[in-house]
Amino acid sequence: VAAITSAVGTPTLGGTMPRRRVALALMLLPCVIVLGFGLVVPLLLLLYKSVRENLGYGQVGGFSLDAYKTAFSTAVFRKTTVNALWVGAATALISVLLSYPIAYFITFRLRRARNLALLMIVISLFSGYIVRIYAWRTILGANGVINDGLERLGIIHSPLLFLLFSKWALLIVLTNLTVPFTVLIITGAMQNVPKEALENARDLGANSLRSSTGVLLPMTMGGAISALAYAYVISAGDYITPQLVGGPGGTLVGVSISDQFVRIGNQPQGAALSFIVLALFALSYLLLSRLQRFKGI
Amino acid sequence: MPRPRITLLGVYMTGMFVFLFAPLVFVVLFSFNSGSALTFPIRGLSLRWYREIFADSEVTGAMWNSVRVAISTAIVVTVVGTCTAIAMTRYRFRGQRAMGALVLIPAALPGLFIGISLVAMFSQLHIGLSLVTVTIGHMLFTLPFFYLVAHARLAQFDPLLEESAEDLGANAWQRFRLVLLPMVAPALLGAALIVVALSWDEFLITFFTIGGSNTLPLLIWSKARLTIDPSVNAIATLLVAGSLLLVAFTRRFIVESHS
Repeated sequence: VAAITSAVGTPTLGGTMPRRRVALALMLLPCVIVLGFGLVVPLLLLLYKSVRENLGYGQVGGFSLDAYKTAFSTAVFRKTTVNALWVGAATALISVLLSYPIAYFITFRLRRARNLALLMIVISLFSGYIVRIYAWRTILGANGVINDGLERLGIIHSPLLFLLFSKWALLIVLTNLTVPFTVLIITGAMQNVPKEALENARDLGANSLRSSTGVLLPMTMGGAISALAYAYVISAGDYITPQLVGGPGGTLVGVSISDQFVRIGNQPQGAALSFIVLALFALSYLLLSRLQRFKGI
Repeated sequence: MPRPRITLLGVYMTGMFVFLFAPLVFVVLFSFNSGSALTFPIRGLSLRWYREIFADSEVTGAMWNSVRVAISTAIVVTVVGTCTAIAMTRYRFRGQRAMGALVLIPAALPGLFIGISLVAMFSQLHIGLSLVTVTIGHMLFTLPFFYLVAHARLAQFDPLLEESAEDLGANAWQRFRLVLLPMVAPALLGAALIVVALSWDEFLITFFTIGGSNTLPLLIWSKARLTIDPSVNAIATLLVAGSLLLVAFTRRFIVESHS
């Protein structure tokens, strides 16, 4: 608190230059400590551990690239990594496609109910990460709400087991988790689209699908890219949803990484895998922003 | 006002809201179920599961842990985030843009990577896992959100007001305490409540940094993973009720600070 009080007054106003610099340093110090010891140092240590020999229990020995070699040569790691990229891309695409009509409806069709609709989206966003995953388990499970309901209606006689513990369940739950985010991002992007732009397109003879793809999509491309990237990273990096609803076919690389740290205690292996995944994320993002530039012409 | 018509878009919106809220509705309904089967129709309404969880020291202990972590996180992040936002809006310095980007990284990185990198550091430095290490993870994760709100509010603030105060003879402390703080406090309080809500629900980082104890989300995980325990619905409802209460309060502060 002393730091704030001594520093706050000086900005833009009186005080000699050195005093101002001291004040600035004091104001930045807490943030530098938190980001330094919470983000930069841990990530550098993770990188360091990824090129070290594993001694178990989080301890590492001399230089070694074994962890990277194992990451590329082990079938399970390759499979879960590829799974994560596909599931992430599919989730992101589905989320964004589902979000566009919602964002359009909230922005252009609602007036008085707009804030209420946005509040509902925010509520669904805050309705609990682990709670929602758990809830989907009870909805999709063999004795869950859907199977039980269908059996009572006489539509099926034995539970549909593919509903839970499958890639489909994983896609449903991850989409459910990311849609509130993508709706908010795309709705934000649509605030800058003047209603007249859509009306003009329609006056010139475009039907409602053409006016939305021809006018709305290019004008909200930035938001769509952010939404895609965010949903992709969130879902491809998830390690809990696959464990609770994914089943054996729906395991993502996050589970492998977390296992290396929590159960197996091989930190170099987990670290190497996570840097491979981060590199793939960065590559995907570059491709995505290339796409935007290409579309923007 | 035209009569509401049934349109394709309207049906779609209804379907999406069902999709978004189905999990929440089922959890809350089953939490008041007097039977223990998680199927419809529910047998009857009762507070059986709530009585059970409030008598369970494992649940109340985890809840208390969650409260302590959330409040400690909010206090630290309010100080750190306010200082950062003041530095970023009131000063010009080298590396300012890089700093602005760095602050936001923890929100863009999946919790998994933050969690394991913290574990990599804690194990290297032989720091034992506890609620303190949990709080460190939460501070990092919530700082970007607090910073965004605080930065937006402080950037709006007219520097002329502070200059006039100086002309009238106010010293640095008086200008902060009597001019700046009263005007930005509601927004900062709203941002602090968002931090509490984010910390209260945080799972992905906590999973790695917690060690032996439990927070409410972690307790739900450990119960839901292994068994079918109907009391989980009551714990989950409690967790979400806390979050939504915080969102409601946040709205009040944010709306007030805009008017």
